[in-house]
Amino acid sequence: MKRLTLETLDNEELLSVKDLVVRFYTYEGIVKAVERANLKLRKGETLGIVGETGSGKSVTAFTIIALTPSPGRVEGGAVYFRRAQGDVVNIIKLKEVELLRIRGKEVSMIFQEPNAALDPLYRVGDQIAEAILSHRLPEILENVIKFVEGELRRGRSGFGARLELWAYRKMLENPKSAILAILRRIPIIKNLMTRRLKHVVREEIIELLKLMEIPDPERIIEAYPHELSGGMQQRIMIAIALACSPVLLLADEPTTNLDVTVQAQIIDLIMRLKNKLNMSIIYITHDMGVIAEISDRVAVMYAGNIVEVAPVKELFNNPLHPYTRALLESIPRPGSPFKSIPGTIPNLVNPPSGCRFHPRCPYVREACKLEVPELVKVSEDHYVACLLYDGEIYGKYGGHGRSEEILSDKRRNI
Amino acid sequence: MVIPTLLGISLLIFGVTQLFDPIERASLYIRDPRQIRFVEEIIKKYGLDQPFYVQYFGWLSQVLQGNLGWSQSLHMPVLEALITRFPATAELVLYSAPLTIVLGIFLGKISAVKKDTVIDHVTRVMAIVGWSLPAFWLGIILMAVFYGGFGIFPPGRLSPWAEAMIRSGKFKAYTGLYTIDAILNLNGDVFIDALSHLVLPVITLTTINVALIMRVMRSSMLEQLGKTYIIAARARGLDSKTVIDKHATKNALIPVVTISGLLTAGMLSGMVITETVFEFKGVGYFAAHAATQLDIPAVLGFALFAGLIFVIANLIVDILYAYIDPRIRLR
Repeated sequence: MKRLTLETLDNEELLSVKDLVVRFYTYEGIVKAVERANLKLRKGETLGIVGETGSGKSVTAFTIIALTPSPGRVEGGAVYFRRAQGDVVNIIKLKEVELLRIRGKEVSMIFQEPNAALDPLYRVGDQIAEAILSHRLPEILENVIKFVEGELRRGRSGFGARLELWAYRKMLENPKSAILAILRRIPIIKNLMTRRLKHVVREEIIELLKLMEIPDPERIIEAYPHELSGGMQQRIMIAIALACSPVLLLADEPTTNLDVTVQAQIIDLIMRLKNKLNMSIIYITHDMGVIAEISDRVAVMYAGNIVEVAPVKELFNNPLHPYTRALLESIPRPGSPFKSIPGTIPNLVNPPSGCRFHPRCPYVREACKLEVPELVKVSEDHYVACLLYDGEIYGKYGGHGRSEEILSDKRRNI
Repeated sequence: MVIPTLLGISLLIFGVTQLFDPIERASLYIRDPRQIRFVEEIIKKYGLDQPFYVQYFGWLSQVLQGNLGWSQSLHMPVLEALITRFPATAELVLYSAPLTIVLGIFLGKISAVKKDTVIDHVTRVMAIVGWSLPAFWLGIILMAVFYGGFGIFPPGRLSPWAEAMIRSGKFKAYTGLYTIDAILNLNGDVFIDALSHLVLPVITLTTINVALIMRVMRSSMLEQLGKTYIIAARARGLDSKTVIDKHATKNALIPVVTISGLLTAGMLSGMVITETVFEFKGVGYFAAHAATQLDIPAVLGFALFAGLIFVIANLIVDILYAYIDPRIRLR
């Protein structure tokens, strides 16, 4: 395992995305989906990522667990993550074997369409069991072995239990043992061999479903995904994601396709579980209302760039980037006319030069077309990538940072 | 569903015979120019001038009683001809269909998982080449090389000595499929002989048909591999082998089941060219000969038989569907 100096993450931090570049190689050309994105996540924090469709927020989330969708490729940057044992790894450079130990165990993900995220051919119980068995098998086996040993000592059972005990010990010793693999091919022996293990896993799943506030879990685990409602499917997905108590949950628009009432229930559930399990969450959405409600800090993405990062109150009270402002103004309010951001999100095969927002920006200057803005710190914990706030570069073009115009404009907005 | 489909098939194939006028059909029974004066008599005797529905129901009632008519070209009842010829075809299908399907699924899966790599390109090119080879050409080449060149894998179903053994009282014919009968009779020599006659036709059929299964499997697999539940399965920490074998493959198999059913049905209803090239006297061989001799009852019987096979195949495919896909079980 590649060990990094702890300087890459300070003690409070769980995750750091550094200068991440993701590109998609398509027939139309190279889509520059994520361009030098920087993010930090503290322990126990909920970070909201907002942005329009195609702004690269989902791609960023997938890249954090090294599942960048094809034909995407990570072309630069790093994703530093603090493992449960305390060592810091760069997920991008990690081997698949290592990743298997992180995915689903330390970092989990829930998805926009719970219906599409469940395999239609397997019972939901089996799919939850997969998550449990792929990470917690040794721990569960030890419990089962103790249980069977107890039974034997009390003289309760005979040959079947002995066979099971042998099989579990073998499994614990060497999960890939050839003889077990052969025996497992024979259905009757497989059933005999794993009866108590199945029972224990089933109990675990039922406990987990109760935690997800699912009524009648005994019935639900026998159901196929298509027999459940969207909200129930999403609860199952959350159960799968949290089966191994991860430290980080990536939520990719988990409520976008649900009814409003169900949406509130699911968000509520996620937040309660977060406190119970002491997780960090990266919550991706384009719903500013949800963001305001749940996040501690917010990152705003536009066309593959992170344009502003700030604590949630600060962002809503004092938005600095012209895009953030436009986004906040476009939240529909009763009594006022519906506002939208003029223009459309740019084609990321040939993104605009300089600042990618400049074609739609009301404050655009000559400098914006030439220089790519960097995230700069404007106040404690508030970062923005806009030349208007970058005096050094702006000065080169004969202007000055923090233009009076913007400040006066901002006052008008409030 | 089964009965209306079969009725429709019978109506269609019987209707086709009505395109000939009664004199034409009657004259098929005449072997000698001097018998021409009996044409009127034949028309009367068999009711060939009756209205369509009378003839159809007359024929249907006979068919339902198991009488498919008399085959002029084989000098035996059509039903008997079909029954005696079917085991040969069935034996050929018994080996080539599973081989084609398993190989096709395997190649399609590999080629999808290794998309756009050398393995993918090689597999696809080979499959298309196999698909494009004419059966008679491939059959003749294989026979020239193996039988002509090395003297192995002869045409026909059995060598003369084995044929004699089968005809003798000691050998019991349980199924008519010689390899299976040989196993049941514990006769290793006949088994090996029957198997060696099967090698070339099975290779031919597999080579030609494997691309069909492979391409369906490949595209279906690619579709499944791009779905969210695959990413979700990987996100919960499953290794790619489990994700591919357990999740993607099972989902990808659904369309493959349909095409495999159609392929097997197509093979069972006779492989005219392959059976003719290898002198493998099965249903296809019989149908081809009957057709060239304008043996209408035989052709009718054959068409009905092929229809029956397809109906049964569809039924089996539906049952398999319900077995694989829980979404269908409910309906």
